[in-house]
Amino acid sequence: MYVELKNINKSFGNFKASDNVSFSIEKGKLIGLLGPSGSGKTTILRMIAGLETPDSGEIIIDGKVVNDIPASKRGIGFVFQNYALFRYMTVYENIAFGLRVRKDDKKSIDKRVKELISLVGLDGMDKRYPSQLSGGQRQRVAFARALAPNPQLLLLDEPFAAIDAKVRQELRSWLKDMITKLGVTSIFVTHDQDEAIEVADELIITNNGRIEQTGTPLEIYQNPETAFTASFFGQTSIIDDYTQFKTFGRIENTGKAIVRPEFVKITKKGEVQKYRSSAVEGVVLKTLFRGSNIELSVRVGDTVLNARRALDEPHVKVGETVDVFLYRLFVTSGDKAYIVENESLRENSIVI
Amino acid sequence: MEKNEGSKIVKWILIGISVLFAFLFLILPLYTVITDALRSGWETYKKAVTDEYAIKAATLTVEATVIAVLINTIFGLFAAWTVTKFRFRGKKLLTTMIDIPVTVSPIIAGLIFVLTFGRQSPIYPYLQAWDIKIVFAVPGIILATVFVTFPFISRELIPVLEAQGTDEEEAAALMGANVFTIFRRVTFPHIKWAFLYGVVLCAARAMGEFGAVSVLSGHLRGKTNTLPLHVEILFNEFKYVPAFAVSSILVMMAIVILIIRSVVEYRGRRAE
Repeated sequence: MYVELKNINKSFGNFKASDNVSFSIEKGKLIGLLGPSGSGKTTILRMIAGLETPDSGEIIIDGKVVNDIPASKRGIGFVFQNYALFRYMTVYENIAFGLRVRKDDKKSIDKRVKELISLVGLDGMDKRYPSQLSGGQRQRVAFARALAPNPQLLLLDEPFAAIDAKVRQELRSWLKDMITKLGVTSIFVTHDQDEAIEVADELIITNNGRIEQTGTPLEIYQNPETAFTASFFGQTSIIDDYTQFKTFGRIENTGKAIVRPEFVKITKKGEVQKYRSSAVEGVVLKTLFRGSNIELSVRVGDTVLNARRALDEPHVKVGETVDVFLYRLFVTSGDKAYIVENESLRENSIVI
Repeated sequence: MEKNEGSKIVKWILIGISVLFAFLFLILPLYTVITDALRSGWETYKKAVTDEYAIKAATLTVEATVIAVLINTIFGLFAAWTVTKFRFRGKKLLTTMIDIPVTVSPIIAGLIFVLTFGRQSPIYPYLQAWDIKIVFAVPGIILATVFVTFPFISRELIPVLEAQGTDEEEAAALMGANVFTIFRRVTFPHIKWAFLYGVVLCAARAMGEFGAVSVLSGHLRGKTNTLPLHVEILFNEFKYVPAFAVSSILVMMAIVILIIRSVVEYRGRRAE
């Protein structure tokens, strides 16, 4: 394990930013720290960097406890949320800063800076100041600056937050490729689930200062272990009493259920459907054109479900009565979540 | 249309009042100072200005100003840096304390120092044992000037530093830069103009300081007299022409400072 956190606690006044946080990261992996605002993910990042000191617990990097090593000696590259580029230095000087501080000789600094400038695709911009760059370009400079001294660990705080949607998409894959190519162990913080799923090799889900779950994006998406993780991805709906939907067996000691839009199948009356007998009726409350699909709110009893329909399917109108079928749902029991499949799916597969 | 014309009238009335006000309270007195100083001819003016005591007073004023600006520059930088870049207990208290000199009357400030370092003070015997003279001596004048101009530089710097945040410093620190390098290469470029502006203001205030210095100086002619005190003495002795002549030195110093101030302000704004 390259980076390890053991029982880290950190409070700011009465606010518990880290509550017994433990996890470990393998060398060369790209890790996403994902959680809502205020869940303590940035604090974790800042503690690893040495910008905050944990109240208790150990931070281990490459086999050494680094708690007492100051930030400047940890050899970590850090990309700040708003990049924190040195405003009064050119792109060249920004990238060279860490090398100059280390007192490298002029020639090797020049070589390294030029190498990085072309690596991040900013050739010819070395004399510009940060204020003369676009958001995406600034991000690239910040990235190059953090990488210049060849850090073994790269930390990125909300690296895409300040960039507009289109460039963000482009930068995500750029950053992932770049980090994979360089093989530097990286941890990035984000509150954006799509971004985390797309970029990270592994995810660490944080909530209220605790680690909820760790694993690959696919594992976490498909098998959420906690109620929080289950509800965090996508526009989930909450069902108070899931037995109102037919063919879900009641499990003892369980509470609410969580449903993702892709678990819900909405069928117009008269459309061909596989599971008619297991479907319940619902009324369409809202339809919203979302570009690639149509988002629906459907009321079943007291429950409102979010669902989607493809653009090529017949249009559904507000007020229309439709059939609602749930493939599966996450049943919660306290903090835990369990996946429950619709029983009619099983019957069906037996028949086939 | 009517409303537009109404606001035009208001505009000119306001401009008129401002100009009249500036004329009455600034230009006219300045004009009087200069004309009165030169009333008995250039020779008398030269004599008054080159008077031994006047020169000594001017030297002392410059000396006190330079030292006060130096001390407050160092203190102001440290205080502003501490207040904006670190979190600690009692930070609010410290920022409030920095402001005390502007809220306390200079006379009171002078008295405080007389009480602290004068004969009644418990530390007076120690000062005497070490042969340190503060009250009615040059150190007292410098002390008073420092006190009065205390907040000028830090007050200019704190808002700029606060607006900048600490990200860039943290970024530099993470790359292994020491505090001095961080200050020189990252922080100072940000605060350069605000800093110079603070220095200029501080110098202007230091030169003109009368109240606190008056209490601490003891008015020893040629020894502890600054220009403003010298002017007062001459005036009280009914030597109007010399009084105005010496005043004109202060006025000229002020004008120089004003020009420097405008240049700094202009260049600072352009640098933004």
